[in-house]
This record gives sequence, structure tokens and C-alpha cells, in this order.
Amino acid sequence: MNGRRGRIRGGLAWLVLAACAWSTGAVAAMKFDPAGLSPDERIATQRLLDDAQSHLPPRMAALAERDIAVRWSPLAADVHGHAGRSELLLNRDLLAPLIEGGDAARRAALATVLHELAHYHDRAEHLSRDPRFLDLAGWQVRATRFNTRMAGRMRENRFVDRSPDTYELTRPSEYFAVNVEHYLLDPQYACRRPALHRYLEEHLGATARSAPCADDVVYVDAGEGDGGALRSIDPARVYAIDYLLAEGNAQPMSRWGHSMLRLVVCAPGRTPGPDCRLDLSHHRVLSFRAFVDDVQISSWSGLSGRYPSRLFVLPMEQVIDEYTKVELRGLRSVPLRLSHEEIAAVLERTAQLHWSYDGRYYFLGNNCAAETWKLLHDSVPRLAGQGIGSITPTGLLRRLENAGVADGSVLGDGDEALRMGYRFESQGAYFDQLYATAKTSLFLPYRTVTQWMDLTPAQRRPWIERADLRTSAALLLLEQAAQRRALAQVRDALKRRYLASSRDEGDAPDVVRRLLKESAYLGQPSRLIDGGYGIPQADERAALQARSATLQSDLQTTRAELEQGAREWMGPQQRARLDGIVANSELLGTRLRALHAEQGGLRLP
Amino acid sequence: MKRSAVLLALALMAAAPAAFASSFAGTSAGSSAGGSSASSGASSDSSSGKDDKVVQAAREDAASFVASNGAIRGAQLEAALRHLREQLPQAREASDLELAQAILAQ
Repeated sequence: MNGRRGRIRGGLAWLVLAACAWSTGAVAAMKFDPAGLSPDERIATQRLLDDAQSHLPPRMAALAERDIAVRWSPLAADVHGHAGRSELLLNRDLLAPLIEGGDAARRAALATVLHELAHYHDRAEHLSRDPRFLDLAGWQVRATRFNTRMAGRMRENRFVDRSPDTYELTRPSEYFAVNVEHYLLDPQYACRRPALHRYLEEHLGATARSAPCADDVVYVDAGEGDGGALRSIDPARVYAIDYLLAEGNAQPMSRWGHSMLRLVVCAPGRTPGPDCRLDLSHHRVLSFRAFVDDVQISSWSGLSGRYPSRLFVLPMEQVIDEYTKVELRGLRSVPLRLSHEEIAAVLERTAQLHWSYDGRYYFLGNNCAAETWKLLHDSVPRLAGQGIGSITPTGLLRRLENAGVADGSVLGDGDEALRMGYRFESQGAYFDQLYATAKTSLFLPYRTVTQWMDLTPAQRRPWIERADLRTSAALLLLEQAAQRRALAQVRDALKRRYLASSRDEGDAPDVVRRLLKESAYLGQPSRLIDGGYGIPQADERAALQARSATLQSDLQTTRAELEQGAREWMGPQQRARLDGIVANSELLGTRLRALHAEQGGLRLP
Repeated sequence: MKRSAVLLALALMAAAPAAFASSFAGTSAGSSAGGSSASSGASSDSSSGKDDKVVQAAREDAASFVASNGAIRGAQLEAALRHLREQLPQAREASDLELAQAILAQ
């Protein structure tokens, strides 16, 4: 099954000939030349061809109504069969094992015949050139405004992980033939490659052999708390999908913003509907990120880099924190007008990407906007004709709105958008306002919030001790901001240290390297399992459960070590600053509780 | 430095946001262990006590709401207000500001 099959020669002349020959509609079948074959070999061959015939779906059987001469032939060891112009050649080496009657040998020969018949079918019907087929298979469109559905496709298929047979990646016609084999022979094909199964069913006719599939989409969580854990999403619980845009900031890598998709997953027990929009702790975010692992990090040099592009599934609340509180960037969450079936299709494609895709990231060609666009494009055929690909995140949003796919009207009322989570404001937008509150209340002598945050924690402390409830709330937020800023400085220092001393064993970088290695699994979870192809099925999921639990605990250990290490690697001043901030935050927490109790405020149980 | 994951950011830094947990008055506001359909029963959605994730995640929004006297009203606070009113009878009587203060004073 691993050998290469079905080399095609012949080209256009053959295609024309085939199309004519097959249009006659005469009832016929595969014929083989018995000359030179022993009685046993004849029987085995006839049985093989009958077997193949019985596996053909209706439309393939109809097209095969023409004599196809079959002959055993000495072929190169890695070639099982060959769909030649005038005859279908089978590698003679397959014959002896076939007569011996082993299941594996029978299956290998059968797969070969079906593979070659698929080539004949494809030459007549040109399915492997159908844009929809290319979408599903992974020869993706380039996301630019100029492409048509045919031109401007990637030359390379990057759905390289969990392939049933990597020979399929060589060219679309081989992808078609390999997938027809599995479609016809593997009862699990419908569950492993559901979208392709539907495509082949539609174009070739049904096969009787399909196992029942799990309804949920299984993935490895890339979040902080649950990173590494195996999770799943039931498409029936997803009320909506939003285009989630992180607005740009002044950083070179962030100027254009970042494109993501937000899955509005309903809390358990809630009927899918608008109320699910506030079930934020259940929402998930699909984010394509350029993954930088330890090998490539040494050549990390800005915009022109070339890294793997992988799909991460993150908790929405973490994404809110990362952007609005750490990076001080706003988020816009614009609902996409998708039917329930289309939402399910996006999730199905997400699973395919998550388990198989190992893309290449180009900042100006295949970035997060292009990847997000392709995910939508490949999932929902009606979007494919609209030419709304774009290489910038804001450009893509604009095009989705112009095409009536994204509903930007939710952002019209600013306060309502914030309240309902269509917009998450950068916390930085509030710093001046928060500081003004504190300044008025405490008669603070510092002019700006920046001056306040530049003070040492000890200098801020006397003011904190006098703050009332409202002012304490404001100062607590500013203290948090100061902490995040200080942590960002620690991170930068550690990054520089890592880059400078990447060969230095037993130092900080070793933990960093370990974290990078372990984190790599989060975007390429196929590395956690062996065997099987496509979406993991029940037994693979059981194995994954164990591996992902190990990964989760490894990640937690590594992060704890890193945190511990970071305390030691940072300078005494940095350490004192962070400790001072934590002490201030704790004091504010204590004051808030005391002031609240004094007022006789409501206590939550 | 109470919370971990300071440096997952390194792994994701090329075009990605940093991953930080936040230390919010000694408790975690940044952690958001998600209760997806496959997660075990650890999700505390139906509770409304100190370990309640929805309430914890709303602490910074609650602080903004209190500090701005109700002017800044984010979605995480909105989610927590709805959640508390679904779970606690006494929360139904309380005003938004009273509830935000209660969340903040946890």
C-alpha cells in the first residue's frame, strides 16, 4: 500500500481519445489476456477484477462501460499499476501473493486496480481539475483580489500531516486516485475526510461502506491553562462564527492587525441563540500563527521571515486578555452571515487544518488574513466565487462586509458593541480616564498616567493607602497595567538572553527551548499520534487522550520552571519592582474588600 | 510573578500576541480553563462563589465599571451580571454597580 501507483503518461492526446471512446455507452468490463497465465493465475485475476467491479460506485461503473484491457507486467518495484493509453498494467510482483490469498495482498491488488480505474474516470470527467476538488484536497487559492477560481493556486499541497499515502501530494490527479481507493475500501473514510467523502459521493455515487462518525470536532487546546489538553466542539453548539480582528498598533509585526475567527459556542444547557454571545468562557478562537521553533529562532530577523503557519485553537478569554490587556490592542468581533450547515463546514475544515496542515508563513503572501480567508473560502463554496481574498486583516474585513458576509452594523452603537462583546476595547484607551479619577480624588501631584506608572511601587503605595473604593478600583487597574508592562520587559530581556546564548546548556535557554518544543505540538497535534489518517478516530482518540494529558502536565511543569527561573534571571531591581507591584495589588484588594464591607455591600457566597 | 506562562509568548512571537496571565489582587483573572463539551465536570458554571470562572474573568471589567461609575461596561462584566442573576436570587435585586462592587470585592 505504500508503493507508488499509477504513473500517468500520455497527456492530452489520450484525454481526447478517452473522452470519445467512453461516450459509446456499450456494456463492457475489464478484460484480461489469459495467455501466459496458469489456471490459478487466471482464476485469481478474474476474481480480482470481479472484486474491483463490485466495488465501483454507480457513476464509475457507468463510465467503465468500455473494454479496458488488463495485463500483468514487470513494473518498477515502487509502481503497483499503470493506467496506460491502451491497457491497465498491474505489477506482476503482486500476482504471486494474490494467489497465496493473504488479505493484505488482495487488498493491495484491489486498491491498485481501483486507483487505476480512478485515473481513467478522471481523464474522462476531469474531476481533479475541478476548483472545488482542489480546494478540498489542499491546492489552495492564493488570497489576492486578482485570482479567479482556476488561476492563482498554490503549487504545493501543504496538507502533509496524517496523509493516508503521501503519494497523493504529488499532483491533483494522484490525490484523486488515492482518495478514490480509500473512499471505496475504507469504511472510515467518511469520518476521516468527511468533506472529500461528500464530494466523491456526489460525483461518483454512493458506496455502501460507511462507519458512523463522531459528531464533534476534536482538537488540542493551545490555551495557557489547558494547553495540550484534548478537547472537542460539537458543531450543534456553535451559534455563530465571527471574524475577529485585532487592531494594529505601532509594532512592526502588528501594524496590520491580526485576523482570527471566533466560535460562539453556547454554554452547556443553553439553547443556541443570541444569549450564547455572552458565554465567553466557552467561546474559542481559531488563530493562524507563524510558529517559531528553536531551530529557526536564531534566524529570526523581522518581516521577511519564513516560518511554519499553523492553526491554533485558543480560549476566547485568553485572547481578550492577550490583546486588550497585554498588547493594548482593541478587538472587533463581526458576525459572519453563515447558515448552520456552513458553520458546520467551517468546523469540519478547521479539523482538517488542525490535524493535517503545515503551511508556510509569508508576511506578505500567506499571512493570517490569507489563511483565514482560505479557511472560509475552502469551507463555504458560495464564498469562493466572490473574490474577497485580501492580504491584510482590515482589508479582508472590509471585503467581507462589502460582500454582505460580515455584519459590521453591530459596531454602530459603540456602548452596545462593548456590552455585547462585538468590541473589546484596549485597556490602554482607559488609562488617562482612570488616572484622572484618581488624580482628582487624591490630589495626585503627577501630571500624567505615564508619570504615575513610572514611579516605583513604593512611591505609589502611600497614595494607595488613602484611596476610596472607586479610586482603589482605578488604581488597581493601573497597578495591573504596570505589572504587565514590567513582565513584558522581563520577557524581552529573557528573549535577548535566549537568542544570545542558544548553545549554552543548563541555563535559562534550556527551559525556553523545552517550552518551545512542547508548544510546537499545540499547532501540529498530529505529532502526538502515530497511525491513521485525517481526523483521528475512536482508537486514535483514546491514544491521544493519554499523550495530550502528558503534554499538558509537561507544559505546566515547564512553565512553572520558567517562571521560577525567570525570577532568578531578572535583575534585583526588576524583581523588587514586580514584588512591589504584587504587594500594592494585594493591598488594593484588601482595601476594596474592607471598604465594600464597610458600606455593607452585597457579598457573593 | 504569581502566574505562569510568562513566556509562551516566545513560542508564538512572530506575529502573535504575548501570552500572559495576570495577577489580579492575588487571584487569577487571566486563566480561562475552558469548559468545552469534552472537558470534565470541572467547569464551575453553575456555581457562583469565589471559584466561579465567569465571575473571576469579569474582575477587571468590574473594576473599570466601578472606577468609571458605570461608564465603562465590558462584555465580561455583562456576562457575569447575567450569570449572577441567573444563579443568585439576591443578585436579582441588586443594581449593576452593587454587583460590580461585589465582584471586585471577592
